[in-house]
Amino acid sequence: MEFEPVIGIEIHVELKSKTKMFSSAPTSFGQKPNSCAVYYDFAFPGTMPVVNKEAVSYGIKVCKALNMTINHTLYFDRKNYFYPDLPKGYQITQQFDPIGRDGYLLIETKDGEKKVTIEQAHLEEDTAKQLHLNDMSLVDFNRCGTPLIEIVSNPDMHSGEEAMKYVEAIREIVTYLEVSDGKMENGSLRCDINISLREKGSKKLGVKTECKNLNTISNIKAAVDYEIARQRELLMKGEKITQETRRYDETLKKTVIMRKKTDAIDYKYFREPNIIPIDLDDDFINDAIYSMNKLPYQYKKDFKAIGLSNYEIELLLKDRQVVCYFEDCLALGVKNPSVLVSLISGDIMGYLNKNGKTFKDLNVSKENMVYLVNALEEKKINSKQGKIVLEKMLVENRDSKEIISSLGLQMLSDEKAIEKIVDIVIKENKQVVDDYQRGKDHGLGYLVGQVMKMSKGQANPIIAKKLIIEKIGECPKVNTNH
Amino acid sequence: MSNLNSLSIHELHKRLVSGEITALDLTKEAIENCKSDSCNCLEATCYEEALKKAKSITEVKEDEILKGIPYLAKDNYSTKGVETTASSNILNGYVPLFDATVISKLNRRGMILIGKTSMDELAMGGTGTTSHKGATLNPYDKERISGGSSSGSAVSIALGMVPFTLGSDTGDSVRKPASYNQVVGFKPTWGRVSRYGLFPFAPSLDCPSYFTRNVLDSAYILSAIAGHDEKDMSSSRRKKDVYEKFVKHHRTLPKVGYFKAVKDSIPSSKVRRAFDDLLKKIEKAGYQVIAYDYPIELLNALYPTYMIISCAEATSNNANLDGIRFGPKPQGDIKTYSEYMLEARTAGFSDLIKRRFVIGSFSLLSENVYEMFSRAQKARRMIVDNLNKFFDKADYFITPASFSKPKKINELSAAWSKTSDFLENIMTLANFGGNPSITLPLGEEDSLPFGVNITGRIFEDGSLFAFASDVEKITGIKDVTVRCR
Repeated sequence: MEFEPVIGIEIHVELKSKTKMFSSAPTSFGQKPNSCAVYYDFAFPGTMPVVNKEAVSYGIKVCKALNMTINHTLYFDRKNYFYPDLPKGYQITQQFDPIGRDGYLLIETKDGEKKVTIEQAHLEEDTAKQLHLNDMSLVDFNRCGTPLIEIVSNPDMHSGEEAMKYVEAIREIVTYLEVSDGKMENGSLRCDINISLREKGSKKLGVKTECKNLNTISNIKAAVDYEIARQRELLMKGEKITQETRRYDETLKKTVIMRKKTDAIDYKYFREPNIIPIDLDDDFINDAIYSMNKLPYQYKKDFKAIGLSNYEIELLLKDRQVVCYFEDCLALGVKNPSVLVSLISGDIMGYLNKNGKTFKDLNVSKENMVYLVNALEEKKINSKQGKIVLEKMLVENRDSKEIISSLGLQMLSDEKAIEKIVDIVIKENKQVVDDYQRGKDHGLGYLVGQVMKMSKGQANPIIAKKLIIEKIGECPKVNTNH
Repeated sequence: MSNLNSLSIHELHKRLVSGEITALDLTKEAIENCKSDSCNCLEATCYEEALKKAKSITEVKEDEILKGIPYLAKDNYSTKGVETTASSNILNGYVPLFDATVISKLNRRGMILIGKTSMDELAMGGTGTTSHKGATLNPYDKERISGGSSSGSAVSIALGMVPFTLGSDTGDSVRKPASYNQVVGFKPTWGRVSRYGLFPFAPSLDCPSYFTRNVLDSAYILSAIAGHDEKDMSSSRRKKDVYEKFVKHHRTLPKVGYFKAVKDSIPSSKVRRAFDDLLKKIEKAGYQVIAYDYPIELLNALYPTYMIISCAEATSNNANLDGIRFGPKPQGDIKTYSEYMLEARTAGFSDLIKRRFVIGSFSLLSENVYEMFSRAQKARRMIVDNLNKFFDKADYFITPASFSKPKKINELSAAWSKTSDFLENIMTLANFGGNPSITLPLGEEDSLPFGVNITGRIFEDGSLFAFASDVEKITGIKDVTVRCR
């Protein structure tokens, strides 16, 4: 029997607005426990929610980026349940009328571009964090009330790769929009993946399991693939899938059961009476949309147009900081963008990684970088010299133009000066010249190399080559087919 | 025995401005009044802070109408440094870290908080008998209920302890006890006054409300506490009025309406006669009096609609009371968080409260929500739509505020009424619609007071005061305390 995996993903993204979703406490990560919480976050009687405009604006940006229909009226609802990390005894969310509906996202898979449709996105508040010790449990309310947007996909995906690409694309979008850190490892982006199998061709969905605790992008693929294989094996044996929540165990490289889904909790949803529905001003929505950062797919399109390869584009898109730097450099007049890509992804990233720095720490001005790139492209300096200059730029924080001239690195382009060296080289390598003139064409490279050596690498090799050919002629074509 | 605190706010203000009396005189006397409380009106008190503040007030200017006036607040207002329990064991020992917006507005105007008043537990009740400290007694007959849930606030002002008390009104929790205690009880338009710091019972119905002993004082208070509050998103940004001007300049509206079904079914002949008589006098005073046919099935829907919406909201609003962050810790061998919460809540709430929570939860369960909660919401919409239709024809809705004598405490039954008595619930109309509504004294039956209630259009609080002031002139009953009889 052939099975088709069906995958739907819910992603919770922490929004990094300055303050919480409904209170004036700062959003924080890694602060002293309970230092970033105000009365509302502890649910003291009489405290009331005040909707954070910045978080709403972030929500609008996410919805727009995911091609969703944006609800022009904001409604909030209560989800009621008792838990120590939920001080009010309810979470304020958007159960009935989410801020965004009916979106989609295009992802690149190895089988080409694929469209994943998105059911909805809604705003809500995060819970507090519990810490369990031997004989007690502690609650830290710093995270309590942090704004979240939950993005719910339709069950449109069918493989671990697709699931991974989808989450990666969402992560890229929220970090490019700068609405979230999007860090899976510290929980600012969390995903729950629903996986089920059905007979190929069938429309009916099978029993699903929910997979949690996925803290890297690559774990997603591993977990989904494992879970698909596990379910397939069970089904092939004629066993049934039980509805349960599983977590991915990184060391075992397996999904393991967390809890059975017994009767679902009844959350007794109803409209939040402390927040009258808010009509969003068109200007407010437009301001949010027009202040959106450029998104990855838009960069892709632009970079393709200037002739970058898919590989180069992928290198750049890994980090928005890099893309912005790159694009600013382009605006200053980079003659060959590929040279810049290779500098950034090679030497610069290498240097930063080696020194435990990130791209944010890069202290090379764009003007300096462009000068270096163009000097390379115009063969004012060769690539070996380029490396020396770049290192001095990074380490000593100096101007590229100044380094190039102070080190006398400017390549010798004065034909007369080069001609003198060429003449010497020809005189000293008579045998090579003779062989060349009889058809051994690699002799030319050797001669150019000798010119370079004699000029301590400063001669422009193109000019040197031109002059040599002028003097000893082209290499005759010898028929080597006997 | 003279008691300054029996006087009206505006009268006291005159004497404070002239220097005839001081804030300290008033405060000392208010404290003595509280100490001789004979009706179980009080929760925590803050005498020292009150005296300290009174001493600091050396001068009261003409435009500082509330400065130096003592007051009491219902125990469901968050008061910084003063224990606040909402008369429930689950909050015993809870000392808030912040003041409710209403409290800080009054305090900044120079009013002096003397203490907190008893109430029906968590404001859920209409008798004043369900406080964790026992029943608040009716000062006119201690065997009878005082009305609730703002029982301590109603009784203390009726006793002349202070000239102003804060209450809160979700169903008729200020306007019903005002009727039983012969004082003025006012519920402003929903959203006119910030609810920040008022312990929520049912936020869509809750309204900071209060007692005075005359209409003009009531208007002065609203001018002080109305207005938008950044901490309460549901508070209105509409410009507030200077409400006392409506009284002073007689800015009333011409048409007064009553519901035929209500008038025709008043059981007490004494109340019926007083109400008829009042309507005649109102007409004589130049108003047009209109009899209106409000749909009887919607009147019958008032009680179930109110119970379902208020209990549903209440069960959620009080879910924060789990003993983890405040309130008494549960006793015994606790192993899990659910045991912890269960124990704290089992010990902390009375059975009456638990019953409301169960009903509220039941009505929200997914298998019931459509038939119960959603249906109640729809009924509310229809009730309000029809009330608005009434207000297309008339400017004010008038009704007796209570229809029979307050019940005897020992005759109360814990069972809920199985029939829907719309008279008992008529004042919930103003909570459903968010309308401003005021109760003022009308008469007495066997020495037990009853009042009349008037409701206006939303945000027409000012003209409501103007009409109420006319009614006050007609009845001639104002500034009443128990001891001045």
